[in-house]
Amino acid sequence: MKLGKALLYLFLSVSSLLVLVPFYWMLNTSLKSSAEVAKVPPSLIPAEFRLQNYVDAVVQAPLLTYLINTLIVGVSVVAVSTAVSVLSAYAFARLHFRGKNVLFFIVLATMMIPQEMLIITNFQTIADWGWMNTWQALVVPYWINPFNIYLLRQTFMQVPDELYLAAKVDGLGNFRFLRKVMLPLSKSTVTTTVILSMVLIWQTYAWPTLVTTKDDLRLVSNGLQNAFTSSVGNMEYELQMAAATLITVPLVAMFLFLRKSIFAGMLQGGIKG
Amino acid sequence: MLRKKRNPAKARYDNSAYLYLLPAFLLMGIFTVYPVINTFVTSFKHDFQFLTGNYAGLSATHYLDVVSDPVFRRALLNTMFIAFVCVPGSMLVSLVLALGLHSIKRLQGFYLTIFYLPQVTNVIAAGLVFSFIFNTHFGLMNAVLGWFGIEPVAWISGEGIVGSQERYNEAYMRSLFVLFVNNVWDGLSLHVLLFLGGLQNINKQYYEAASVDGVSKWTVTRKITLPLLSPTTIFIFVTSVIFAFRAYANVVALFGGSYGPPGDNSKMMITLVGYIMDALGNYLTPGAVSSAGAAAVVLVLMVMIVVFLQLKLTKRWVFYR
Repeated sequence: MKLGKALLYLFLSVSSLLVLVPFYWMLNTSLKSSAEVAKVPPSLIPAEFRLQNYVDAVVQAPLLTYLINTLIVGVSVVAVSTAVSVLSAYAFARLHFRGKNVLFFIVLATMMIPQEMLIITNFQTIADWGWMNTWQALVVPYWINPFNIYLLRQTFMQVPDELYLAAKVDGLGNFRFLRKVMLPLSKSTVTTTVILSMVLIWQTYAWPTLVTTKDDLRLVSNGLQNAFTSSVGNMEYELQMAAATLITVPLVAMFLFLRKSIFAGMLQGGIKG
Repeated sequence: MLRKKRNPAKARYDNSAYLYLLPAFLLMGIFTVYPVINTFVTSFKHDFQFLTGNYAGLSATHYLDVVSDPVFRRALLNTMFIAFVCVPGSMLVSLVLALGLHSIKRLQGFYLTIFYLPQVTNVIAAGLVFSFIFNTHFGLMNAVLGWFGIEPVAWISGEGIVGSQERYNEAYMRSLFVLFVNNVWDGLSLHVLLFLGGLQNINKQYYEAASVDGVSKWTVTRKITLPLLSPTTIFIFVTSVIFAFRAYANVVALFGGSYGPPGDNSKMMITLVGYIMDALGNYLTPGAVSSAGAAAVVLVLMVMIVVFLQLKLTKRWVFYR
């Protein structure tokens, strides 16, 4: 029995180490000099920690611009899409109106449609509107997020009816009820949708590649893919890995900070048979 | 008063609801519903010109062109590989890890945190790291193999594939392996978490009954845990397969913008979405956007088939509590 447990811990530890290998290799390479990167076989620990790579990566990419762009797009997307989702989720969860089931079915159905199907026409729309190479093109299509509507509706439905009826008696209108009662009670789900939307923008690659051609409108994913791989001749792996580290760190930090609430939400909200 | 009683539901209809829904449905109309219809129609427009909107009649030519295009077949094959080889592989590894995590108390959160980390990376950053790990000369993989006296392997650089079908096939297999490792690593995070959630939702009474009857641990796993976990398993499988159908960014990061080793013109590792993106990139060529549309319709059909099968499967196979 004891041996079994020990073997289990050993297995989990080895698996964890394997999962961490890419992170380690990224960090390891990002600290090497270009001469050391070219060494065969590669060294497992950098001979000296060359932090200058990070400075070079920021200057050369220009990584700072990409990060700021991503932040601008992310905040603009999250602010509006959260408002849009909250409003419609509230209607679906609380209000009675004709066509409710049909409209909610449409929301569910659009969740199934791959974004790539939409990209083709949205590209045409953006071009028709003269929005190529603009901020709007990067932001506006992300304002609609059916998954967030669904998630928020599920949470809003858990708020007891009694609260709503009591609020009605007290003369609280729908909007004030949403603002003063619903939202504070659903804070954790709203936070989750904000995080998920932010991660989505951080990852998004295909759409920005299509609608922007200018370097000063690039987001982190596009910037990272283009900056160090398109240069002819020697690949500067150490700079590429330094840039990759800089782009990974904010997400990992956010995750470690909010880990408890993310896990709690996902483990509880898991699939119930 | 009496009237109200006769139709209480109608009395509570709240027309302000439409105001709450307006922004969402306006956006959905422009960016979701219209695109679905328009892309479907565009895929049938023969020689559709992006800039002028002109086309030479409606036909299914672009579907025939796409289906007979070897690059499209390759894209389909690679996408299927990700969906039906990488996803089950990742799920199997995740299930074993989740079962392990479920049977411990101490350090569970610690291990879970580590297993979740691949989820919070940037997809391009992770792809580039994997690409570098499998670099022929400076990569970690070949360094480790070197400790065991194994010669460096050209994982993704595809040396000498030009003009040799045999070498090409070998290089393809190696690239698939790299894609597999990357996908398993990437999928691990969500799968372990969801499996663990599913395991925690299983009613403890079953285990208590089994331990009273003195059933062995392995039998408990096989006869109780796995059947009761099947709703979670099917949910993970279906959502992952649909997600896998859309694979694109990680492939670009791993194998580059030409989806393969330098000197290879077959777009060795292209995916369906890669095919759509490439066609869209050539939007000035007449018919290119229609081809993208046709490929996208194929993609949607694939998703619909999986969703349909899921509905059938959950009825037949899933064991409910």
